[in-house]
Amino acid sequence: MSGKTSRRRQLLQFRWKEYGMGYLFMLPWMIGFVAFVAFPIGWSLWNSFNQVFITSEGFKYTWVGLSNFRRMLVENNAYPIILITYLQEVLLIIPLILIFSFFVSLLLNEKFPGRGWMRALFFLPVIFATGQVIMELFVQGAGELPFMEQYNLDVILRQYFNESTANMLLGILGKAVIILWYSGVQILIFIAGFQTIPKTVYEAVRVDGASPWESFWKITFPGMLPFIGLNAVYTIVDLFTFPFNPVLEIVRNNMFSPTTGYGYASAMAWLYFAIVLVLLGITLWLTYRATKGRGELR
Amino acid sequence: MKLEEAYKQVKLDIAETLAHRKTQKLKMTVLGQNVKDGMIAKLVIFALLMVIAFLYVKPILYMISTSLKSVADMIDPVVGLIPRELNLANYADAWKGLKYPEGFLDTMTIALVGSVFQVFTCALTGYALARLKFPGKNLMFFLILVAFLVPPQLTIVPLYMIYSELGWINTPFVFLVPALFGQGLRGALFIIIFRQFFLSQPKALEEAAKIDGASAFRLFFRIMMPLAAGACLVVFLFSFVWYWNMSYEAALFLSKDFTPLSLRLSSMQMELIGNKALDYSAGVGQDPISEGPRMAGAFLIIFPPLLVYLIAQRWFTEGIERTGLVE
Repeated sequence: MSGKTSRRRQLLQFRWKEYGMGYLFMLPWMIGFVAFVAFPIGWSLWNSFNQVFITSEGFKYTWVGLSNFRRMLVENNAYPIILITYLQEVLLIIPLILIFSFFVSLLLNEKFPGRGWMRALFFLPVIFATGQVIMELFVQGAGELPFMEQYNLDVILRQYFNESTANMLLGILGKAVIILWYSGVQILIFIAGFQTIPKTVYEAVRVDGASPWESFWKITFPGMLPFIGLNAVYTIVDLFTFPFNPVLEIVRNNMFSPTTGYGYASAMAWLYFAIVLVLLGITLWLTYRATKGRGELR
Repeated sequence: MKLEEAYKQVKLDIAETLAHRKTQKLKMTVLGQNVKDGMIAKLVIFALLMVIAFLYVKPILYMISTSLKSVADMIDPVVGLIPRELNLANYADAWKGLKYPEGFLDTMTIALVGSVFQVFTCALTGYALARLKFPGKNLMFFLILVAFLVPPQLTIVPLYMIYSELGWINTPFVFLVPALFGQGLRGALFIIIFRQFFLSQPKALEEAAKIDGASAFRLFFRIMMPLAAGACLVVFLFSFVWYWNMSYEAALFLSKDFTPLSLRLSSMQMELIGNKALDYSAGVGQDPISEGPRMAGAFLIIFPPLLVYLIAQRWFTEGIERTGLVE
């Protein structure tokens, strides 16, 4: 009897020794997460339900419940509009980036001399597509597609769309090249994805008489669906945490404004975060739906 | 007579077959057995890629060419991408305006030390998530994913309060300490990369080491880290480049004394244009006098990471495949 309990205790001891090792390895991250992520997030959530003012003695809180959210949506005439415009823009940009990177990676997957250099070239923007340098180029209008002026795209778009839609489309086209710069990582993921489809499958369908066109739609495309999903998620995160986007800018402006204060700005950021999460949820669900039944979802 | 005719016939036949074979061979090389590996297809692909690549790098070419133009060249509409004479004055201005050596050192401190810290902590965390057993592991992995998604605005004010309480504002600690604790720039992504890498390694090595009585730490530093050298390099390079370019976070926490190059670029701009505040939406950019030095400054900033990329290009482009992120 006593031998059994001591054995159990030994087992428990052994287990906890193992667990302890795991926690020891995780310790730096855990400290960091609590101090630099969990605590700030919790604080800002608390703030979003409060009216916060900074006085000489520090922060002054007044509990206001959901009033920040209501004010932001009903009374503020800029925030909802900017939010919706940016959402529309992003919803247009995401497919643009995905189609472009898929197309380029398809080309880069073929064998031709100088392929390594070509791949390096398309990945180049990742090296500096963050930060101040890209803003410089944005301002200079260096990202414009050359055929825009040539074909008077401006006039044509205004003819077929209403004012605001046309402006948005033109804005996107004006920055097109730089937007496409955000597809470096996606191209690499797609290229890596192509390697997961075995060559023998292509040989088999060719023997069966399938044209390259058919083999693309029947083999390549379905096989790539999980990677398209992965890239969509990556693109969404990349675009929505891009620090220079207009929504984040308006949040920052409100943060330091004397009339609205930090609580109000936190509420804005939280609404924005909630929308991003919903969008990600939809993307993951679509990917799951598209790959279900094939057992390909990892 | 008959023999001669027959001989002629045979000769003709042979010539015909040979000619046929030749055309067949030509057809094969041009069109290929499969549409994909013929020469025409290759040429089309190559041409398409060249066109796209040109569009793709045009902004960079524009930056370099503008930085080399004099003001006269800038105003003259006849001058396209290639300036009439190489003018290095812009670079001299930018060098002085950015206080380049000092800025370089500041940026280097953050990028180099921050990246080393990130490699260390993210590898540790990634290894624990991939191999060690402990309760709550899945929850922690989920939290890492959440940390990846949080927009920066949500946390900057609390972070600012924490940092100023600790007296870290305007010092490199605001980036180095979070990096040491696994919360550096895109740290979550690096943890995921390491986790995937360690998951893809065979377990046999560790089991053997364990049987020989190696402790988990010894195992990690002596066996797993050397194995992960490739993944470490990839993470280091990405982290380095991202830290180097970071400007938004830097603008919040570092406003004087210790400022990286990206911030110096915008303050240099203000000096050059005078008191006009930096306003990107209003298009200050079309100012021909400050444009040259600004582009020169931008090029000076991206030059070091560009150099790193040219040397370690293979590791960047193959890195994602190598670490098995997409497995």
